[in-house]
Amino acid sequence: MKVVQGIDVSDMTRFNPDQRAPLWWGILGLITIESAVVLTFCVSYMYLAAYAEAWPPSGESAPPMLWPSINLGLLMLSSLTMYLGGRAIKRGNQRGLAIGVTASVLLASAVLVLRSLELMAYEFSWKDHAYGSIVWTISGFHYVHVTSIVFGSAVVAILAWRGYFTQQRQIGVVVDTNYWYFVCFAWIPFYLLLYWGPRVYGQ
Amino acid sequence: MTFEKPTNSRDVIDSPEETSRLERTWHSPGGLLGWFTHVNQRMIGKRFIITAFCFFLLAGILGILIRLQLAGPEQKLLGPELYNQFFTMHGTVMMFFFAIPVMEGFAIYFVPLMVGSRDMAFPRLNAFGYYVYLIGGIVLFGSLLLSMAPNAGWFNYVPLSSKLYSPGYGVDVWTTMITFIEVSALTAAVELIVTTLRMRAPGMSLNRMPLFVWAALVMSFMIVFAMPAVIVSSTLLILDRLVDTQFFIVESGGEPLLWQHLFWYFGHPEVYIILVPALGMISTIIITFTRRPIYGYTALVLSVVAIGFVSFGLWVHHMFTTGLPQLGMSFFTAASVTIAIPSGVQIFCWIASLWGAKIRFATPMLWVLGFFAIFVIGGLTGVMVASIPFDTQVHDTFFLVAHFHYVLIGGAVFPLIGATYYWWPKITGRMMSEAAGKWSFWLAFIGFNVTFFPMHQLGLEGMPRRIYTYVEEMGWGDLNLLATIGSLVLATGFGITLINAVWSVFRGRRAEPNPWGAPTLEWAADSPPASYNFRHIPVVHSRWPLWDWDTDRERAVVTGLRNDRREVVLTSILDAKPVGVQVLPAPTIWPFVSAVAASMGFIGIIFHPIFFVIAFFLVAFTLVAWFWPRRPWRND
Ligand code: HEM
Ligand SMILES: [Cu+2]
Repeated sequence: MKVVQGIDVSDMTRFNPDQRAPLWWGILGLITIESAVVLTFCVSYMYLAAYAEAWPPSGESAPPMLWPSINLGLLMLSSLTMYLGGRAIKRGNQRGLAIGVTASVLLASAVLVLRSLELMAYEFSWKDHAYGSIVWTISGFHYVHVTSIVFGSAVVAILAWRGYFTQQRQIGVVVDTNYWYFVCFAWIPFYLLLYWGPRVYGQ
Repeated sequence: MTFEKPTNSRDVIDSPEETSRLERTWHSPGGLLGWFTHVNQRMIGKRFIITAFCFFLLAGILGILIRLQLAGPEQKLLGPELYNQFFTMHGTVMMFFFAIPVMEGFAIYFVPLMVGSRDMAFPRLNAFGYYVYLIGGIVLFGSLLLSMAPNAGWFNYVPLSSKLYSPGYGVDVWTTMITFIEVSALTAAVELIVTTLRMRAPGMSLNRMPLFVWAALVMSFMIVFAMPAVIVSSTLLILDRLVDTQFFIVESGGEPLLWQHLFWYFGHPEVYIILVPALGMISTIIITFTRRPIYGYTALVLSVVAIGFVSFGLWVHHMFTTGLPQLGMSFFTAASVTIAIPSGVQIFCWIASLWGAKIRFATPMLWVLGFFAIFVIGGLTGVMVASIPFDTQVHDTFFLVAHFHYVLIGGAVFPLIGATYYWWPKITGRMMSEAAGKWSFWLAFIGFNVTFFPMHQLGLEGMPRRIYTYVEEMGWGDLNLLATIGSLVLATGFGITLINAVWSVFRGRRAEPNPWGAPTLEWAADSPPASYNFRHIPVVHSRWPLWDWDTDRERAVVTGLRNDRREVVLTSILDAKPVGVQVLPAPTIWPFVSAVAASMGFIGIIFHPIFFVIAFFLVAFTLVAWFWPRRPWRND
């Protein structure tokens, strides 16, 4: 049997057509898995709340709203700066990317500081009751994720300042941004549950 | 661009220099240190398969020991504590460390070959997943040697598994290693999904994809959606045990049933995660040994997908005796019976395919026929226990043990061994002995039924599962003795296959590229495949490319991939049109280092939470090293 040329790929892009590179799908996979984790945490919270006699348990008050709401704003803002950085590199503006990512890292670091202060001020511990356990666990879960995007994106920022990313070579930015969005937006259901939830369930 | 046969195409001229260049680019470094750097999918797949079979052997030995303890009334062989550890380890290892990894191993090895790719989407991640698996398994078995093994059963119910009733490290080992192994399963699943969707040979549209690849795809999606639940549940449990959270402690508002929901939300699909790839193996074998296109390709694909979906709605049938609301339970009974429909579709398509065909009764086919017999019985008892009144009777008796071994061994192990005989020549380049294969099959088949069929009766007579002994007056002695004898016959049957496999690696007849006359692409590669899998990426025009090649005069291939670096073709999801070329990374030590760093965290937290923080940053640094771009930065 003769082997003949069917398709020639010599001229095809080696740079991830329409940015949907395998890595993009891989991160989507990670986000899907983690979204399932987020959902499972939320369901667990609601399950515990539904079977509890009082939520939060009598003697506890629901945590204050102000600081978490500010955090929500900061996280959304950091998604915006991330987005702008990505737009910049699409136009080949390396400086714009570096500034955008750096700004996001700083904003998320501020969130970490605020969250740390807030958690230290909680009046209950994870050891006290199931309510405390789930609140602390979800908080910790999200805290660790913010830490990891700060760390990962700091690396991206360093590479960006060194001019590694270009219009063509930007898949790293794209996937980092997607994961960033995930971590920031995961705060919304958690925020609603942890801070609005007791006010609803508590009635 | 279409994939009609090329009309005015030119011949492809191969020079030996080009081929050896390709070999240099793709080969895996030798030496002990090199071993830790391998990333090629066939290396990783083979490791998964071999390691999983080692765990099968070890867990099988535990099973036999359990049977020996139960052979007669009031035996003293194991004693209660060891017995608890043994059945817990047996179940845990079989489910988490054997069944899923072995299926993923076959998928990792064969999916890229069957879709005509040179490797998978994330070779380094693949290697990482394997090391995580290996380390997790070693630690789990190590715990047995240190007598710190888990002993609260493979589903580890709270409050039995809480600190109060299970002091010591056993349950901690269970929770951390389970979470750890899930990481490995999840990396492989994502990898398989992306590879299947984006790296198929040009022309292999979704409706031309081999059935095993479909099954592997469904399995991977199921893993992605099921495993997070068990990760969360075991995280909650380990937190309860290590830092005194109160998730499952009733006095402080915790809910033990939350554990059961989360566990079975995962645990039920788990059974189908094991079954689905086996279904793919069966279809593959049937196609080859009837030597004609399968009946109902589309129906088979749709029913596998349906099984995947429905299996997520059934978990409560494991909780019928927990006192949930009646209406809800009736729903789950109905849902549980529903799964018989897609399963039935599979069986009927196979029967139709076998009907009137000239079947070649080679060893792989025998194991498939054995599957039919056993699985049907397992399915019937499944329908029985899905009904609440019956389940209330036999819950936690040996009837259940009989039922799920019929499903698991019949549904997964038999097809798996058939697939091993089938694909062995591809993996090793040697044929396994047919005569030994037949002996092995018949001994295993008879031994299996002698072991597990009497357990139905024992269960109906009221013998509970998870008891280390019973008194003579119960009258369970004879059937138990019979079951124990059966298990020895069964073990002999499996043992012959093991010897056959090892022997054939050295002495087996050499295999041609396509010894069975199969139609799918993996048989287009050499036996065993070269490190680059295919000299030329094939272009596909039908579901049965190799059968086409028997009749066609020409076959079209992809040209223009560079051979001085690892390049693979990217194609579109639905119709597999080429859209670009992906450059894959070369071997490196970093996945191994990362896995070691991660395992330090997982093992460490058994003793102190601080290890979580340490490992978090260690892993982060290794990941940076892993991904750090090396100069000169690629500009083409
Ligand atoms: C090699 C032949 C095997 C033998 C002789 C065997 C024997 C047994 C026995 C006697 C038990 C019941 C222990 C008790 O309840 O006291 C058991 C439990 C179990 N087996 Fe097997 N088994 C075999 C293979 C398998 C395989 C291949 C799988 C799964 C893929 C499996 C999964 C399980 C599970 C999940 C349990 C429940 C453990 C628990 O109760 O926590 N077994 N096995
Ligand atoms: Cu089930």
